[in-house]
Amino acid sequence: MSATPDGTASPDGSPLPAGRAGRPVVVALLGNPNTGKSTLFSALAGIPTRIGNYPGVTVEEKLGRYTHRGQSIELIDLPGTYSLVAKSPDEQVAVDVLRGRLAGVPMPDCVVVVADATNLERNLYLATQAFSLGLPTVVALTLSDVADEKGITIDAAELSRRLACPVVRVVAPARIGIDALGDAVLSVMQSPRQAPQGLDTHLAAVDARHEPAAREAIARYAWIEQLLSGVVHRQPPSTKPLGERIDDALTHRLWGTLVFTVTMLAMFSSIFWLATPLMDGISAGMDFLSGLVRGLLPEGAIRSLVVDGVLAGVGGVVIFVPQIAMLFLFVAILEGCGYLSRAAFLMDRLLCGVGLGGKSFIPLLSSFACAIPGIMAARTIENPRDRLLTILVAPLMSCSARLPVYLLLCGAFVPNVAVGFSWLRLPALVLAGMYAVGVATAALVALVLSRTIFRGPPQPFVMELPGWRWPRWPVVLERVREAVWSFLQNAGTLIVTVSIVVWALSSYPRNERIIDADVAAHRAVLTTRLAGLPAGDPDQTDVAQELATLDTDDGLAAARRGAAQRHSALGRMGRIVEPLVKPLGWDWRLGCAALASFPAREVVLGTLAVIYTLGDIDPGEEEGGTALVRRLRAATWDGTNRKVFTLPVALSIMVFFVLCAQCASTLVVIGRETNSWLWPFVTFTYMTVLAWLGAFATYQIGTWLGN
Amino acid sequence: MSLEQVAIGSTACVADVSGSDATSLRLLEMGLTPGVNVRVVGTAPLGGPLELELRGYRLSIRRHEAARVAIAK
Repeated sequence: MSATPDGTASPDGSPLPAGRAGRPVVVALLGNPNTGKSTLFSALAGIPTRIGNYPGVTVEEKLGRYTHRGQSIELIDLPGTYSLVAKSPDEQVAVDVLRGRLAGVPMPDCVVVVADATNLERNLYLATQAFSLGLPTVVALTLSDVADEKGITIDAAELSRRLACPVVRVVAPARIGIDALGDAVLSVMQSPRQAPQGLDTHLAAVDARHEPAAREAIARYAWIEQLLSGVVHRQPPSTKPLGERIDDALTHRLWGTLVFTVTMLAMFSSIFWLATPLMDGISAGMDFLSGLVRGLLPEGAIRSLVVDGVLAGVGGVVIFVPQIAMLFLFVAILEGCGYLSRAAFLMDRLLCGVGLGGKSFIPLLSSFACAIPGIMAARTIENPRDRLLTILVAPLMSCSARLPVYLLLCGAFVPNVAVGFSWLRLPALVLAGMYAVGVATAALVALVLSRTIFRGPPQPFVMELPGWRWPRWPVVLERVREAVWSFLQNAGTLIVTVSIVVWALSSYPRNERIIDADVAAHRAVLTTRLAGLPAGDPDQTDVAQELATLDTDDGLAAARRGAAQRHSALGRMGRIVEPLVKPLGWDWRLGCAALASFPAREVVLGTLAVIYTLGDIDPGEEEGGTALVRRLRAATWDGTNRKVFTLPVALSIMVFFVLCAQCASTLVVIGRETNSWLWPFVTFTYMTVLAWLGAFATYQIGTWLGN
Repeated sequence: MSLEQVAIGSTACVADVSGSDATSLRLLEMGLTPGVNVRVVGTAPLGGPLELELRGYRLSIRRHEAARVAIAK
């Protein structure tokens, strides 16, 4: 076999079909899910040249390019599908590409049907549909090594004769059969496709009372059964292969449940705790970089932009990478060994009750660590309705960024008393309650949405439970790399932009005279308050101390920063929204902090520190936290002695942060994953409305109970 | 009798799949065609989906979907 480098000749030397000269042969990979299609793609083309979404839908587009015997080949990885009678966007894309109806995607010259050798009967169903397209077709038998292990032998030559198309055995990770597959593709290009005979006879034999599509399905299976008789031989090995023994344990009633619980706990704690040191490392690195810039640039607008706008934004993006990588590592491994479907199978009943499905479990569980990897993991949900619903409610799971807010407020304002048992303290109960509020709201929202906007015919939950197999590491790593890269590339730039905009809003306009006047007024207020306090009042020391810090350089700088923020555009917006936040028991500074925390919830504590003139402290650290708590406890409504922070107010803030969508990164990722700006908008609106209502109810009921 | 009522561990032969919507077609396409033998391997907890074995692979379907699959006596 030889071919000229320009690809004008075929392996046997005869000229290629007209119009082929000089342009690559377009090959589409078609196959059921879980057939090792991704592994075959990597073995053929290596790293994809293009990954993205098909226009208008959230179906992943994956293209690759390679050269075989001098002929350049463009490989299209079609979404995994069970049928070419389209019932989902994935299947529609596969059909449209194969018929050359999708703009921007070339019409395939050849179809490679990827068929799992361990499960040929069902896999050939798609192949028989592909034959009806009339395109040159090659069947690749994947997972042949696993089939051997299971004692399944396939007479490939006989199968090829009966199907009237080349059948190639491949073991993609070991690169067995890869060259032969390439040769088969080039050779099949010469001869126009001959449809295998016999479908019509079977079609005629099917009971006529069935629908046409149903008759066709029944006929195809009858045809396949006849086709495979004498081609596939099963001789179960004398000792059960390891994979099957693992399978038995995983499906066992007791062990299966135990393994599931342990696996989910391990996955969850790894994104929660294993990612933390990496995230701390990134934080420390960003702090070091900020310090470096602070040393290099003179104090002023540029330095502030670089440090508080750009670097803070970049840090806010990179910080998510460890969690995304960790979760996708787990998801890819679980997917690789076929366990992802089993997890969905086990959890389906629970989620079915609220209008979701079993596949929503892992995305929602991961969202307790961070909604961003959780929303990205919703890619594993094939059903578009379930996927969108999952994405919409995932941000209601209390992520790790909310934890510092809960911890600080619970510790400072919830009385540390025992509830019933000596070991059960009220702050811990309130903390658990916040998680419960998030889960309950998510369940309610999912239930309501699935019965209203997302109402429709019941979605089938017909899911293959693939047998145990060892994950293929290159595929796992590629999945992790792709998830991290798509986040950095698509979401990252937008998140940095949002961060810079919020920085500008909280820094400008800036007027030194107004700032000086504000600091002077603040000093006057403190002096009057101190004079008015009776001797021995617990606030006396706090007010005196705050007054004293105003005379130090650091204290004055912090006070000026606070004043600058209060008079910035953001501060003014805080005053404008005051009527809106007053029913929640908040003063305008709290409203301002809530606005400033739009890029990320965790910012709220830092903003409170700045706005209450503590300057740059780290509220996450013990010392900073204590200082902030002291300042918050002492805070009073403007011009009065009435305390801002009471128990109902603290609870109202916490409930607000449970339910609000104060995370620009999440919204950006929702936009990217749903390929539309409508859904981030919907998410933000419904969550903000719920947050306000929840905080309002909490404050009003809390105040009423307290009286 | 439907597939939903088949005891765990036993094998049954599919007689028909009722309905003419996407779910019925999907059940047929996954190989639950008249005449095929299906073993009910188990169920998920809390009355969750069924785990079936047919045509050399394992399939999970919900109970109300299994109720559409009639079994030959």
